[in-house]
Amino acid sequence: MKKQLLIIPTLIFLFIFITFFYLLLIDRNPTDIPSNLLNKNVPEFETESLFKKEKFISSEEFGEEIILVNFFATWCKPCRDEHVYIKRFSDEKKIRVIGINYKDNNKKTIQWLKNLGDPYSDVPIDKNGRIAIDWGVYGIPETFVVNKKGIIKYRHVGPVNKKNFKKLNSLIEKIKQ
Amino acid sequence: MTPLLGNFSLWLSLFFATLQFVVSRRYQKSKIINISVLGLLVSSLLSFFLLMYSHIVSDFNVLNVFQNSHSTKPLLYKISGVWGNHEGSMLLWILVLTLFNYFIIKLYNKKNSIFILKTLETQAFITIGFVLFTILTSNPFRTTSHLQTEGLGFNPILQDPALAIHPPLLYIGYVGFSAAFSMSVATLSIDNNEKISWYIYMKPFVVAAWTFLTAGIALGSVWAYYELGWGGWWFWDPVENASFMPWLLGTALLHSLIIVEKRKSLQTWVLLLAILTFLLSVMGTFLVRSGILTSVHTFALDPSRGLYILLFIFLIGVYSLTLFGSNAKRYFNNNYFSFFSREGSILVNNILMIVVCATVFLGTIYPLIVEAFTNDKISVGEPYYNSTVIPIMIPAILVMGIGPMLSWKHENKIKIFEKIFPSICLTLIMTIFIFFIYQSFSLIGIAGIILSFWIISNNLIMLIKKNQKYHIGMIIAHFGVGLLILGITASSVWQEEKIIRMKINEKTKIEKYSVIFDNIEEIKGPNYVALRANFIVQDANKDIITRLKPENRFYPIENNFTTEASIHSNLFRDLYIVLGSGNSNDGWIIKMYYNPLVIWIWIGAIIIFIGGIASMNINLRKIKVFPQ
Amino acid sequence: MIKKIFILIIFVFLSQFFLNNIYTVEPDEILKNQEQEQRARKISKNIRCMICQNQSIDESDATLAKDLRILIREKIKDGYNDDEIYKFLTERYSDFILLKPPLKLNTLLLWILPFVFFTIGIFLIFFHNKKSRKI
Repeated sequence: MKKQLLIIPTLIFLFIFITFFYLLLIDRNPTDIPSNLLNKNVPEFETESLFKKEKFISSEEFGEEIILVNFFATWCKPCRDEHVYIKRFSDEKKIRVIGINYKDNNKKTIQWLKNLGDPYSDVPIDKNGRIAIDWGVYGIPETFVVNKKGIIKYRHVGPVNKKNFKKLNSLIEKIKQ
Repeated sequence: MTPLLGNFSLWLSLFFATLQFVVSRRYQKSKIINISVLGLLVSSLLSFFLLMYSHIVSDFNVLNVFQNSHSTKPLLYKISGVWGNHEGSMLLWILVLTLFNYFIIKLYNKKNSIFILKTLETQAFITIGFVLFTILTSNPFRTTSHLQTEGLGFNPILQDPALAIHPPLLYIGYVGFSAAFSMSVATLSIDNNEKISWYIYMKPFVVAAWTFLTAGIALGSVWAYYELGWGGWWFWDPVENASFMPWLLGTALLHSLIIVEKRKSLQTWVLLLAILTFLLSVMGTFLVRSGILTSVHTFALDPSRGLYILLFIFLIGVYSLTLFGSNAKRYFNNNYFSFFSREGSILVNNILMIVVCATVFLGTIYPLIVEAFTNDKISVGEPYYNSTVIPIMIPAILVMGIGPMLSWKHENKIKIFEKIFPSICLTLIMTIFIFFIYQSFSLIGIAGIILSFWIISNNLIMLIKKNQKYHIGMIIAHFGVGLLILGITASSVWQEEKIIRMKINEKTKIEKYSVIFDNIEEIKGPNYVALRANFIVQDANKDIITRLKPENRFYPIENNFTTEASIHSNLFRDLYIVLGSGNSNDGWIIKMYYNPLVIWIWIGAIIIFIGGIASMNINLRKIKVFPQ
Repeated sequence: MIKKIFILIIFVFLSQFFLNNIYTVEPDEILKNQEQEQRARKISKNIRCMICQNQSIDESDATLAKDLRILIREKIKDGYNDDEIYKFLTERYSDFILLKPPLKLNTLLLWILPFVFFTIGIFLIFFHNKKSRKI
């Protein structure tokens, strides 16, 4: 009996080895954390809007069409880089984009949008970062895809670039159907 | 020129390692094997010092120097910069490997020739693996494509004297276990009709590896304590775990070797431990450098490196473990012993160390396993380790206090009580005394203090008895562990923290000390500029004890900030001040710690190190005294 | 000369940037009520700083960490108990934010295996001891 037990270390070793091997080969990003809000309703919030006089009330905005929610700030450099692609969503793809302005200065933001172009249908202001916390945002920029029923279908962390623009786009097409 | 020579010396190392591998397979010593061992040593010394030379003269055409150095960096950090990065650290690793290789061939004599040659063969294989890894995936002698006149700098948080010597010590530890691994493989693959006492050979290497690994880990903690500015010194970070796990298994290996030596039992067990300890050392390297885990200290990440190390682990792991599976039964024996005996206590400790190691391993890789199977992400942090590791450590330390006093084979239970009665009394007196001073009670505090004095008083009694049976290295090292536990317990249970905003000339109190914020000034270091605050610390009688000068440094080249805590230590407590942000109008954020008995952690570690060195000497002598 | 100007620029730069450079709870965040503050510290030590690696928000200087520290203190003042605060955070940031993983189906092995290891160890010792008595 005891002789057979001698094989146990090899088996445990192989199990660990295969796990590592699998983890190394699959396309994964250790810093990418899945959102806990997927397939849930958008969090409810009310806040000032940058350009409109009336308040931004989430329950009145979501639930009719596919909406992209983009958390951005003028002090965040990657936000500037991804802005081109956010604009492409609203200009070319005719998707409504809501830009939540995270911990920013209103004047600066208005100037920033003037310079770079304004793809947002509305810019609710998140002065103290609480809306971001409600959305589970941990790094600016983050982009959420919300479907017709007001349910969050996807979250993208980090700037949208050429590569993941395509990916996001095909995802939106899929959700549309 | 240097890069060319460096590359040449790397290939030369590969050549000599291959030569050693081929020649040692013939099971008879020839001149060639001497030449290859020596050649390997010389060529790896050459490549190591060539890289060091490039760092010292700031040859920025070498990519490694360009990426990790700067002409204004102090000389000490230019030198330590050699192993402060992934590629350079591989050269150090290879150098230590070949040094041990050289020590092994020194043990050669006519009677142990098969054993030593087989060991050298395995060592050569490991060396080939690491040299190839360096050449293929992490060559430190790659040159920059454009002419560079200045380097990118070196992460300032790593510019610290403790961290400068931390990696060499750690590598002596890891690589020392490679010798134990090779010897275990050699033992398993030879017929051993000659009854070679392989354990006598293995032990000094294990003691050396363990001693240096302990020192390396301790220095890493010193660095964390002084440099990170969080008042703590151990954070259960994956990188820390990667060195802690081999240490735990190494501890088990070290102690069970004593049983093999004295009683010839548990031979299979020790052979397995020797294999696992080294596998775990390499596995730690894999975890840290492949980017599979993310951690504070992450070296340059590269999946191809991870894949290579993983394949290497697979080769040596499968080979050694299947060898173990098929041949270990030769080393079965029936030398059983009672639970109440010295062997029994060592076995208990062994098992508990392995349980702790398995738990730490589980905690480290569990997030990966969950992710692989369910796609969920979870975190396993300090609270998990504290609540699993500490309860298992407590019985281990209890047994550690009494174990060395028991007799071999079997001990009378009444006699046990007679033996430990004085130390029980001493422990109780000391514990009451300590609590009389600190007057703060918590379960974990009481447990820690009792355990530490349990170890200290047992070892004191053994020392006083001057019984020749007791091994002096062991007593010293165990005594050090007692002090270590004292420091750990006191500093974590009775730590006092104060975070306040202070303006200049304001005064605050921590414990019985008054701290006055005297002024703040701008200073200029060799490669940084800093804000330095001056604090005057007074005791209860208003006598000035010390001036503390915490700094906030800015390293313009690396565009990086570090905080330099300022610490006043004595045997009873550390006063620890960190300067935070602020300005002269609103005041500055100041963080202060009163850390009782912290210094005993470091003193304990030094004493353990001394004990280890003493034991190493004794065990080396045994090889000479016990010819086959 | 150029060097001097360079240093000057850096000092201006310094005073700007040290604003971000604090490694802990800031004094302005601390609650007056000591008991509540203790609770807040205890919870913070258990909450992972999402963008840092293996750091709790208690020891992190990231802005999100600071926001969460303040949020936790507000919740405590509003009379939330610890479980409710943990629930609030995990609803938004998933279990990833907890440094001490909760006992769930996917962490079952994590919490049970140490006990299993321990039991196997004890079993091994007794197995060995029993054999020794026979001899």
